[in-house]
Amino acid sequence: MKKPFGGIVLDTAFRIIVPFTLIYGVYVLIFGEAGPGGGFQAGALLSIGVVLSRLIMGDHASFNISVKNSLVLAGVGTFIYAATGWLAMLNGGNFLDYSYLPFKAEHTNELHALGILFIEIGVTICVMMTIINILDAVVERGDENGSAK
Amino acid sequence: MQIYLIEAILLVFLIVTTISVIFCKDILCAAVIYSAFSFCAVLLYLMMGAPDVAFTEAVIGTISTIYFVASLKKIDRWCK
Repeated sequence: MKKPFGGIVLDTAFRIIVPFTLIYGVYVLIFGEAGPGGGFQAGALLSIGVVLSRLIMGDHASFNISVKNSLVLAGVGTFIYAATGWLAMLNGGNFLDYSYLPFKAEHTNELHALGILFIEIGVTICVMMTIINILDAVVERGDENGSAK
Repeated sequence: MQIYLIEAILLVFLIVTTISVIFCKDILCAAVIYSAFSFCAVLLYLMMGAPDVAFTEAVIGTISTIYFVASLKKIDRWCK
């Protein structure tokens, strides 16, 4: 965007809020099996850091991710989800059957936890990059007169 | 008994915010009232025992408000 939302209050609040938001997002991702939360919420929380930095600092933001990178990473997140299912299929089970994952574990419960963590990491990356991409579409499309490119 | 009273007050506030979003003339004002609507929905979901849905609604309400304000900044429409 051409003119970012600047100002000393927004800059200071941004510096204080965003690290806690990112750490809370990772906590929600890891703790999502046992409590409220999961991949979607963690991705949305992690994307708030990038979205706020782009809105407040403008084009030379510290956490900037370009449009092309965000599209590619959204595909990578979906691929991580699918690859977890394919690993179970290659090992002889059904799609997303976590008991057949090719890792060493004492019980099948650990394999289930590991598989759920993998697919939640995939969902997190996909949701985060999709939200950043929607912000790009909202803010930067069109020229100054408002007509579409 | 008191929990029903609080729930009724929240429901009335939810309906009032929804109607005021529809009849609000200013776009920025409508976006801010929409975020108040989202917060009422979060409290109602929590009281109905769905913390997961409440968490999702809180995060998505914040992000949609950010989208509305960013697009308002883009089209240069502020309250006068």
